[in-house]
Amino acid sequence: MNRILTIGHIDLRLFMKHKSAYVWLFVIPMAFVYFMGFANRGQSHAYNRTPPVLIENKDTNFLGRIFLEELKAQNMYVLSPTNRETAARIIRIPADFTEKAQRLQPGKIQFLKGQDSGEADTALIEIRLVRALIAMNGHLLEARPGTTNFPPFTEAKLREVMARPDPVVLDATFAGRKPLPSGFNFSLPGNLVMYLMMNLLIFGGSTIAAERRNGVIKRLMLHPVTRMEIVLGKIYGLLLLGLVQIVFFLAVGKFLFHVNLGANLPGVAVTLIVFAWVAGSFGVLAGSLNAAEDRVIGLCVLTSLLLAALGGCWWPLEIGPPVLKTIALCTPTGWALQALHQLISFGSDFTAVLLPLAVLCGFGLVANLLAARFFKV
Amino acid sequence: MEIFHRPDNHRLICEHCPLILPCLTVNPPYTRAMSLLKVDRLAKSFGAIRAVDGVSFEVRPGEIYGLLGPNGAGKTTTISMVCGLLKSDAGEVMLAGIPFGSDPKKAKSIMGVVPQELAVYEELTARENLEFWGRIAGLNSATAKSRAADLLDALSLADRANDAVKNFSGGMKRRINLGCALLHRPQLLLLDEPTVGIDPQARMNILEFIRQLQANGTAVLYTTHYLEEAESLCNRIGIIDHGRLLAEGKLNELQERISGDRLFILEANFNGASPDNWPDFKEHFKVIQKTERQLILAATSPRDPSECLKELLNLPVQVENVTLKRPSLNDVFLQLTGRDLRE
Repeated sequence: MNRILTIGHIDLRLFMKHKSAYVWLFVIPMAFVYFMGFANRGQSHAYNRTPPVLIENKDTNFLGRIFLEELKAQNMYVLSPTNRETAARIIRIPADFTEKAQRLQPGKIQFLKGQDSGEADTALIEIRLVRALIAMNGHLLEARPGTTNFPPFTEAKLREVMARPDPVVLDATFAGRKPLPSGFNFSLPGNLVMYLMMNLLIFGGSTIAAERRNGVIKRLMLHPVTRMEIVLGKIYGLLLLGLVQIVFFLAVGKFLFHVNLGANLPGVAVTLIVFAWVAGSFGVLAGSLNAAEDRVIGLCVLTSLLLAALGGCWWPLEIGPPVLKTIALCTPTGWALQALHQLISFGSDFTAVLLPLAVLCGFGLVANLLAARFFKV
Repeated sequence: MEIFHRPDNHRLICEHCPLILPCLTVNPPYTRAMSLLKVDRLAKSFGAIRAVDGVSFEVRPGEIYGLLGPNGAGKTTTISMVCGLLKSDAGEVMLAGIPFGSDPKKAKSIMGVVPQELAVYEELTARENLEFWGRIAGLNSATAKSRAADLLDALSLADRANDAVKNFSGGMKRRINLGCALLHRPQLLLLDEPTVGIDPQARMNILEFIRQLQANGTAVLYTTHYLEEAESLCNRIGIIDHGRLLAEGKLNELQERISGDRLFILEANFNGASPDNWPDFKEHFKVIQKTERQLILAATSPRDPSECLKELLNLPVQVENVTLKRPSLNDVFLQLTGRDLRE
């Protein structure tokens, strides 16, 4: 066991001595996450949940303030008045808003949008504005005791009504159809799976080919070390390298791209570790089957790109023909992504990824055994 | 029975730098009579090529046994079978009386192997390399660190301990390559042409270091195709060619195989004359090598050199020069194989 750990630790140290490792572990993958996430952002993306809007409240009375609270409750990001010049959308509350409401006269809220306001974001604000208005009208109707009293309601009365629970609420569930993962929720796991597979294949394969060429593998075999211990040590080193990339991706995803890893973080971590083991095992297998480093690298790049495309790392499989989904089930990348989307985009719990994890373990075991079988000195 | 036992507190002082070399000390009680390594009728074929053909020899405790032969003679194949890298087709390897196959882990812990290639991590420092190979040999972290520091001193690399090996000269790389096999203080060290491709000064350093190892009780199996190294370093030498061990013994024993301790180099214009046709020649001399203008001869039986000289001067050719010399290993090789080891 000690020898397995020693081989793994020295391999990680060797990987991190290559400057190219930093480029392929951190820089290029993050650039891809950003551009793919930006290009593929959609309604479900965290970035779009609070599109900015400027609200001009000209009503100095209490109803303007209460409506402002309703808007904020609809998860809108309200710009400060100092950003008036740059605001692409404006909601304007008229000065006589409270007065007209109390006189039972119709009032009008204005929604103004600029040319570059963005259709999706503007539509989202419009929906939220309508929801806020429906809620406001409901509260006003409920708070009004009759048609003769003036004023028909006070701020205290209105707030009392608003504090009551809604008599009817919406309980929505998906019936066989799920929203597509989009934005960074899609690009982060997609790129992480692709680059884990690519880096562990390339580093694993080329390192073993190089060590076989310069005699280090042979020298290892001259010590009281078994072939299986060397294979496991090599896979352990690659697993550690994968962990470095996983931790970096999750930290950047959480704090920079605001990907909602939520309560399923342990599940996400377990899925990624199992996948890193699978990728590392395939890396050792690649190095065992090929003697020349350049051939190993070429083969690994091609294989990882193919697995990424077929597994759904580049685009959601839902937008392609059904046969793509079937093909994805033949790849470890497909199963890994399926598990990650369940946890990150669909909010499923750990039990939902037990099947993908079992299949990934199967891939890992087979790759492990083949790597040990074909490991050459 | 003669018993050697080095005291635990034995220390060797390096001649070139006054360093204490506890790292080189081996302390097993052993006898000169028992063989540490016994190779018995080892054979290996690659397809139709018989790479090693019934090679047998033994290495005794504390001795340096040289396996001398040209490139492709079967030295590396033999050493690969001895250390378990290659499975033999026939024959047996015994280490300290135990067949290698019955307990490979134990056998590997007895021996240290220095491969022909520079099998080290060039991106790591000298210290990191030594510590890593120490851990792989089964040492704990503290022992590996301590022995690595001792070895860096012994190899005169202490001042470069924290430099990456890739920045070392060829000789320094060879020394680290050697050091990586010594962390677990093996009783038997197998060196496969450890001085290939380095300058004479670096070669001298390595040979001196091997002598120190021997002085500290380590037995050495040393393969080489350099005659001078075998002559100056080895206690006993086995001459191998085309996979077969042609002769073995101490240097003087091998030299005596050429009927006496003198060779005659005869320079003449032979004009196509063949020594086979000269009267009584074959009874008194054997031809070691013949070129257009030179014959290297040995007497068929030990005789007074002046007598031999007289006979040579009376040969039916016009002799221009006769030189007397002691036979070298190359001459032995020439006699055994009919070709020059340096070819």
